[in-house]
Amino acid sequence: MLYVGDSDIMTLCIDRKEVLRYLGYRGQYIGSDLDSLIGECIDETKSIIKPRYTYKAFQIVRRDGNIHLMGCTLTLEGRDIARQLENANLCILMAVTLGNAIDTKIRYYEKVDMTKALILDACATTAVEEVCDNLCNEIEDGLRYRGQKLTYRYSPGYGDFSIDIQRDFISVLRADRGIGLNVSSHSILVPRKSVTAIVGIVDIKQAEGEKGCLNCSRYLDCKFRKAGDAHGC
Amino acid sequence: MHMDVRESLDKEILIFDGAMGTMLQSRGLQAGELPELLNIKKPEEITAIHRGYIDAGARIITTNTFGANEIKLMDKGFTVEEVVHAAVCNAMEAIGGTEVFIALDIGPIGELLEPMGTLTFDEAYNIFKRQVIQGVKSGVDLILIETMTDLYEAKAAVLAAKENSNLPVFCTMSFEGNMRTFTGCSVDSMVMVLQGLGVDALGVNCSLGPKELAPIVDRILHISKVPVIVQPNAGLPTVLNDCTVFELSPKEFGDWGYRFVKKGVRVVGGCCGTNYDHIEELTDKIGGMDVQDRPYISFSGVCTSTKTVFIDGIKVIGERINPTGKEKFKEALKNGNMDYILNEAIGQVDAGAHILDVNVGLPEIDERATMIKVIRSIQSILDVPLQIDSSDPEVIEGALRYYNGKAIVNSVNGEDDTLDIILPIVKKYGAAVVGLTLDESGIPSRAEDRFKIAEKIVNRAGEYGIDREDVYIDCLTLTAAAHQEDVVETLKALRLVKERLNVKTILGVSNISFGLPNRDLLNRTFLVASLAAGLDLPIINPNDQDMMDTIKAFNVLWNYDSGAIDYLESYNTNTAIEPQVSNKPTKELFDIVVQGNRDEAQEATIRLLQDKGPLEIVDEDIVPALDLVGKRYERGEAFLPQLIQSAETVGESFKIIKEKLGENSAEKLSKGKIVLATVKGDIHDIGKNIVKVLLESYGFEVIDLGKDVPSETVVDEAIKNEVKLVGLSALMTTTVKSMEETIRALKEAHPTCKVMVGGAVLNEEYANAICADYYAKDAKEAVVIANKVFG
Repeated sequence: MLYVGDSDIMTLCIDRKEVLRYLGYRGQYIGSDLDSLIGECIDETKSIIKPRYTYKAFQIVRRDGNIHLMGCTLTLEGRDIARQLENANLCILMAVTLGNAIDTKIRYYEKVDMTKALILDACATTAVEEVCDNLCNEIEDGLRYRGQKLTYRYSPGYGDFSIDIQRDFISVLRADRGIGLNVSSHSILVPRKSVTAIVGIVDIKQAEGEKGCLNCSRYLDCKFRKAGDAHGC
Repeated sequence: MHMDVRESLDKEILIFDGAMGTMLQSRGLQAGELPELLNIKKPEEITAIHRGYIDAGARIITTNTFGANEIKLMDKGFTVEEVVHAAVCNAMEAIGGTEVFIALDIGPIGELLEPMGTLTFDEAYNIFKRQVIQGVKSGVDLILIETMTDLYEAKAAVLAAKENSNLPVFCTMSFEGNMRTFTGCSVDSMVMVLQGLGVDALGVNCSLGPKELAPIVDRILHISKVPVIVQPNAGLPTVLNDCTVFELSPKEFGDWGYRFVKKGVRVVGGCCGTNYDHIEELTDKIGGMDVQDRPYISFSGVCTSTKTVFIDGIKVIGERINPTGKEKFKEALKNGNMDYILNEAIGQVDAGAHILDVNVGLPEIDERATMIKVIRSIQSILDVPLQIDSSDPEVIEGALRYYNGKAIVNSVNGEDDTLDIILPIVKKYGAAVVGLTLDESGIPSRAEDRFKIAEKIVNRAGEYGIDREDVYIDCLTLTAAAHQEDVVETLKALRLVKERLNVKTILGVSNISFGLPNRDLLNRTFLVASLAAGLDLPIINPNDQDMMDTIKAFNVLWNYDSGAIDYLESYNTNTAIEPQVSNKPTKELFDIVVQGNRDEAQEATIRLLQDKGPLEIVDEDIVPALDLVGKRYERGEAFLPQLIQSAETVGESFKIIKEKLGENSAEKLSKGKIVLATVKGDIHDIGKNIVKVLLESYGFEVIDLGKDVPSETVVDEAIKNEVKLVGLSALMTTTVKSMEETIRALKEAHPTCKVMVGGAVLNEEYANAICADYYAKDAKEAVVIANKVFG
């Protein structure tokens, strides 16, 4: 089953705190000008983005130390993704994008107002993560009655999970045709403000204690964690 | 044996086949598997599907080559040529002796073109070219370019098809319910560009069912001069028992096909979710129907992929992108300083220009290359349509090829040589063209004579297949100082052209006042007179508020601005503009920079210049203020946006200081030249741009090469500008490799040059490993490094 949506069900709020976090904010004094500029940028981002998503569930087949997905050509290689999905029999491949217009707008502001470009960029990053969160929450709502939940989102490029998988990932989800998400020759997602990720479906009981930063391969050098802010990655 | 496709298109309703992918999926195609490989691995299955559609009544079948391009086939064990050939053979096998056409299917490449992605227009063209050449060789009857979402990519494909074959070309794009494609291309832009490029049929496919496509189809039918093709999905997908199914029954699908044909659609087929039954119903309903006459509206207009400008009232063409008489502009062109030119473009659009004239004619530069570069730069951030201002056919050809949309060519005149060289180029790329009413013997004084030249141009354009609505006549403004008696002739000629030829008119207005005092007054007066005589496209400086105001007033008085809506919006603020008397104590430049109050910087600098010299201000006020903010940033008392705000505030102050320093300002202010680039393959350049703003605020001269920059370009620029420091940025593990290669090339060719690197995936260790001299963990660090290198 392949779901494609344009995220009508998701009214984004673009949390100011998250925007500030992406801007490297750590409690400094913010003048009223900058404060209102951030508000403006949040509103502008909401008016420009066109979030779309697609996802598909696959049965996991473990073979030769790798993870294969049933009915699909993709093989998930690496220890980190294996650990991520170790308690899962099913996983979901998802792709989310905000569309090209926000990229163009950020490029535009880089020429006329770098501060605004920077803030808009942070707003867009916040927005794409929010779409992912909302999508996962929605999927989880449907799993709860089965006593199941989702693991953390894990994306190509995290830990030892190679980013070179992006092209096949897009192709499996047909995300180019479905939501206009493409990948460049250097495995960069285009439009820029896009996410591909894998989440495992696990029994709620098994998942106890699984969440948290310890699973993350960047645990040791995560600057957000060091600053006392959990779940930076 | 076969009838010609073009002939059939004139005489009958053509029915295409339905989905290939849907059929293959139902036969067990795995997610992620390339359907095109089955042409070779399971040819009998592909042939069977084709045969099924032929039996259902399809008049055209589509080869299984949607993704048979070199990018998607990379590392798959077969060449484009092998796959395309096998696919055409399968189709031929299925046809046997029947009267069915074969369409070579070409889908999107799967990588986005610049400026969204990194694929260049030429690369895209060459990828399509390979498919086309093999398709022709293998014997297809037509080329179907389909499911496009990027108009620029569609253009590359159509050019590849038309320049490498004589076959008919059909092209469809996929739209969402908001009548835009994923990349924002509008229906109107698609029609204007594709019909301009000379496709045989254009239209829409995929993404939606016929019901949802109906408004889009209606719009296309309303404005398209060429036959329209529709290939809808079988309704919208829904998920049933964990399977994706399409909601529309074959019968409903057939009914929709009938409705479309009744409205004037000439080619119908099916996309995702359609099968033999849908095509069979379609054949039942529309097979043998007569071709319907379809009225369409003719209009004058230009566009980019996302924006259309209809010349249905007065539209302003901004004249500022032109080096004539502008030293700074010439300097920017020579140095390839795109930022300067972009700011001119942005300023004019903000001021209300609808179209921008682009002139980069300067004897000492490569006009063609510069023109293309400027067009690309503008199109990467603005959606305003452009007018290509050059008399050189090669420049015009290059500009039209790489421009995304429908442009205006400025200009041709009544000389046969010019007409016969430039009009075919205009026709090939589907542009509009400006015709100047002058010829071998110069500009005629009498209006009647100018009219005759206009008439000749319009007729000759017609002979080349350029419609009247795409010819804009310029009756030419002569200066009132030298040719006072001719001013009235220009106006008379304008009126004649308007009345007798019924074409759009264009005129450079400001020339009228050259050599006389109070030029604004003359310009404004002449503008009103020209508009009253029927001028549609004044070429003016849109930053001139009086001129823009005059046009707004004219639009009210001539009842173009119905209900004075635009006028009221512009002026009915009810707040009489009073001189702002600020009670706030005047802030010092130092504080303004520290607080990042960009708007106040210029005024404070001017104030301060009364007491001290420009360089003193830099040393005593600006640099200490920046240092303070920098320290606060390092201590965590300020965060990045604040640092950038301060740097941008300094940028404003520098504008005044540079002016004061005079023409050689750069050298006097410059602490040194630095080349910055985001490496090949990488398109994240916000980090690099932050570094640029900060370095510039400290007085360094930055040569910004942009993103996705090949190592050769970095090396060339570093040597050419004799720089001591190059800054490279890369944000992905996949592009750090390009960074390493660039450093190696730099060290070989220009060993004295130092290299600093930055980007999310880098650290000190990694930077050392790829032989960078410095690692900048953030923008502030880059300034420290630059100071060290130049210190």
